[in-house]
Amino acid sequence: MGLISSGNSPKPLTWLLNYSRKYSLWMFQWGLACCAIEMGAALAGPRYDVMRLGVIPFPASPRQADLIVISGTVTDKMAPAIKRLYEQMPDPKYVISMGSCANCGGPYWDSYSVTKGVDQIIPVDVYVPGCPPRPEAFIQGIVMLQERIQNENPSERWRATQRDPIVVG
Amino acid sequence: MPGAEVEATESSVAEATASTIVESGALDDAATQMLARLEAELGDAIVEHGATYGDVVVRVRPDAWRRTATFCKEELGCDYLSFVSAIDWMPTPAIVDEGSGDTSTPAQPKETTYGVAGSGGRFQVFAIVASTRGAHQRVVLKTDLDDAQPHIESWVPVYPGADWHERETWEMFGIVFDGHPALRHLYLPFEFEGHPLRKDYPLLAREVKPWPGLVDVEPMPGEDSDDTDAAAVEAS
Repeated sequence: MGLISSGNSPKPLTWLLNYSRKYSLWMFQWGLACCAIEMGAALAGPRYDVMRLGVIPFPASPRQADLIVISGTVTDKMAPAIKRLYEQMPDPKYVISMGSCANCGGPYWDSYSVTKGVDQIIPVDVYVPGCPPRPEAFIQGIVMLQERIQNENPSERWRATQRDPIVVG
Repeated sequence: MPGAEVEATESSVAEATASTIVESGALDDAATQMLARLEAELGDAIVEHGATYGDVVVRVRPDAWRRTATFCKEELGCDYLSFVSAIDWMPTPAIVDEGSGDTSTPAQPKETTYGVAGSGGRFQVFAIVASTRGAHQRVVLKTDLDDAQPHIESWVPVYPGADWHERETWEMFGIVFDGHPALRHLYLPFEFEGHPLRKDYPLLAREVKPWPGLVDVEPMPGEDSDDTDAAAVEAS
C-alpha cells in the first residue's frame, strides 16, 4: 500500500483497486426504526437483492465493514454508540444516511430526544431522502456510491477529512 | 319464512349487543362490588370516584397510595399491574397562528379541565391494576401530588413490576417515588436535564426556527394553489 499512500499509484492499479472495492462493500447495518424494514427489503427481498451489486450486508463486526447504513431515527442516547462503532471501522469507510430521520430529524424536528441528523456525529457520503425511502432509492444510493468509489483517487480519499455528499434523487 | 327468521336473528343480536355495552359512566355488578369493597377498606382516604368505560376510577389521598396498592393486590385479587404513570394537567401551550409556521411563542391557555374523578392540582400519579383470575376487573387508581415538590410512595414493595414504570415517570415528569430502590434514568441519556413530558418543558427547536414543514409546500394533485395559478399565467 506504499504506492497508494504516497499518491503515486499507477492508473491501472488504481482502477483495479477501486473496481475491487466497489463490488465488495461489506455493509454494517444500523437499523434504528421503520427505515430498517425498507433496508431489509432492499437487502434480502427477492425483488431487490442488493447482494447482486456486491454489497455484503453481514459483517460480524464494524471492524470488517466498509460501509455503514444509518437507517432510522437517531436519538441522543444512541448517538455515542454510532460514533464509537463508526470509529472502529477501518479506512476507507463510507456512510449512507437513509431516511428523513437520519438525514435531519424528519418528523421529530422538535423532539427533546432525537439527534437532528446523523451528520452531526459522523461524516455522511450519501443521503437517501424519503420517509421511508423505497428500496429502489436505497439501491440508487448504493449505485451512486459505487460510482464515486470507482472514480476516486485513493490517496485523496485517505487524506480527505471533508468531502461533498451525494444526495439521491 | 326464511326472511322473517333472518330478521328475528338480527334483532336478537342487536339486543344482546346493547345489553353488553357498558356506557362510559356506568358500572356493572362486579365493578360496583369492587368499588364497595374499596370504599369499605379505605373509607375517608377516597377523595372521589368515578367510572370510565366500565372501569372503576378511584382517587385516593396521597398518604393512602401504597395502602391502596396492598389492598388491591392482597384482598381484591388484582395481581397484575398494568402500568404506573402520571398526568400533567397543565393545558398544552398552543400555537397561536398555525398557518404562519411560527412556533416560537406559543400561548398558554388559562383553563384547565380535569378528567374522571377530578384532580387537586397539576400533577397526578395514576395506575391501573387488574385481576387476571376471578373477577377479571380493572381498577384505575389516582392520587394528587404537590405541585412544587411532587413525590409519592413507591409501589415497588407491593408490585415489583412498578420499578421501571416509576423510573420512567420520575425522569419524564420529575415525580420522586419515595422508597424506590434505584431512581435513575431509564430512557434518557444520564446527563439529561429537565423533565420532557411536563407541559412547560421548552422545545428549543420550536423556539429557534419556524416549523420546517412549511418550506416548499406543494399542492396535492388536482388541488389549485395561488402559486401554480401565478406560474400558469406567467407561462401563458
